[in-house]
Amino acid sequence: MLNEMNSFIRFQDVNFSYPNGTIALKEINLKINRGETIAIMGQNGAGKTTLIRMLNGLIRPTSGRVLIEGVDIITSTIGSLSKKVGIIFQNPMHQLFSNTVAEEIKFSLKSLDLSKEEVEEKTKTILNEYGFEKYADHSPMNLSGGESKKLANASIMCRDPDILVFDEPTLGQDANEIKIFLNMLEKESKKKKTIIMVTHNVEFANEHVPRVVFMTNGRILADGPTNRLLSNETLVNRSSLILPQVFRLKLGLRTLGLEVPDNIIKKFDMIKFLSSYFETEKKEVN
Amino acid sequence: MSLQFLNAFKFLKKNTLIHNLDPRAKLLFAFIYTINALMFNEIIPLFILFISLIPLILLGRLFKSWFKSLKGMSFLFIIIILLNTLFLSLNLAIAMVFRISIMLSAFSIFFLTVDPNDLALSLISMKVPYEFAFSFSLAFRFVPTIAIEAQNIMDAQQSRGYEMQQKGIINQVKNLFPLLVPLIISSIKRAFNVAEALESRAFGSEQKRTYYYTIKYTAKDWIFTLYLLALLSILIIIRINMPIWFKWSIPV
Repeated sequence: MLNEMNSFIRFQDVNFSYPNGTIALKEINLKINRGETIAIMGQNGAGKTTLIRMLNGLIRPTSGRVLIEGVDIITSTIGSLSKKVGIIFQNPMHQLFSNTVAEEIKFSLKSLDLSKEEVEEKTKTILNEYGFEKYADHSPMNLSGGESKKLANASIMCRDPDILVFDEPTLGQDANEIKIFLNMLEKESKKKKTIIMVTHNVEFANEHVPRVVFMTNGRILADGPTNRLLSNETLVNRSSLILPQVFRLKLGLRTLGLEVPDNIIKKFDMIKFLSSYFETEKKEVN
Repeated sequence: MSLQFLNAFKFLKKNTLIHNLDPRAKLLFAFIYTINALMFNEIIPLFILFISLIPLILLGRLFKSWFKSLKGMSFLFIIIILLNTLFLSLNLAIAMVFRISIMLSAFSIFFLTVDPNDLALSLISMKVPYEFAFSFSLAFRFVPTIAIEAQNIMDAQQSRGYEMQQKGIINQVKNLFPLLVPLIISSIKRAFNVAEALESRAFGSEQKRTYYYTIKYTAKDWIFTLYLLALLSILIIIRINMPIWFKWSIPV
């Protein structure tokens, strides 16, 4: 009952076909609670992007319902939904067009009924928060790939939506940029934001996302705790993914006869286990 | 507004009489119909020309895509009708809508039924240098890709509160910037990428090329060409000596 009440986002028997007849989603039933962080994974063409585009009404179900806080998206405009749902698309260059970085942020704030002073103040805060204060007057076109992605994120974050949706957030990002993204994710998660991401990055999902949904051919194949799903080789293969390193290592060690406990699900657990194993081995040799 | 109507210009392989015509014959068709449409300002001849396109659309099994292209341009038709009716006349407004529809339909038929590779070959056979012919067919091939890109840009902007509908002409023009700037930039970037990819595959290294496929002007292409030339000649004669009933207009 409590779970029902907490269902912040609900997909009820959702089907979707594109005008050319391609069936993209079939009988989707999904509940996402407020403040949850989930990853949607699966092969290309599985329907992941179509699914997230429904969240702010960019596309509407052919049949079935998508409810956000109990309200059917069909009754809302994209404008009003985009105040609640911020989608950060894969290609940041699809969003950036202004003359300066500061103007890019201001554009996103325009539709929020804020006074001129509030827009100025919020722009300044966001620029500082994302480390763009030095580039405020620079053209967004001159930013590097990672910086443009950060600016695209900032231009959605400044609108403070309750639901954050990322399409392939780690794609083309270097280690440092992924770290910055992760910090931002943790910060937003603490603010009880609902975070949904479409990703192929199994390592990232296994380490930082508590729940995953596997999709294949427009259907939900599995939905559950990340480590349970990502350690299931059959499911992972059916979703055209690869087992995360920690599970591959676990399997390898087990074939060598080493007893690896089931509760080792993250890299850090494995490091701890291996160091204690070698410590014991060393003691036995001595 | 959806830019998906640009998909209505995307070539789809079909085995129909129109699809099997030589691309040069179809290029001639598009130009002759455009000239024909530009020759008249009257409703009746333009209406007849418009109707004469219908059998070709049906023969090519293109009705759905053709209709989509017209539907996609409906906003332009509304502007034409409004401006012409306000400043000129309702008759001219209707005639102009027919004129644009004829030109649009002719090129829509052309794009829908001509394979981009055949287009390059036909241009080369008309002594157009290979580089130009290839660039032209490449541009032609990218129309639907750009349509998809435009839709993605629109979605990305709407996700941050961009609203399509704005009041006033100036606001509407200003409103195009968030869509056009990223579209132009990504198109230029793509052009550079394609150029680099082509050069990395030795594009232009040999002056003389051989071709795997060749195209031939067959009897049906000549019949179609004769029909087009006959139509053009008849319409020129009619334009010079226009019968009175051709000048009929809606009594306002």
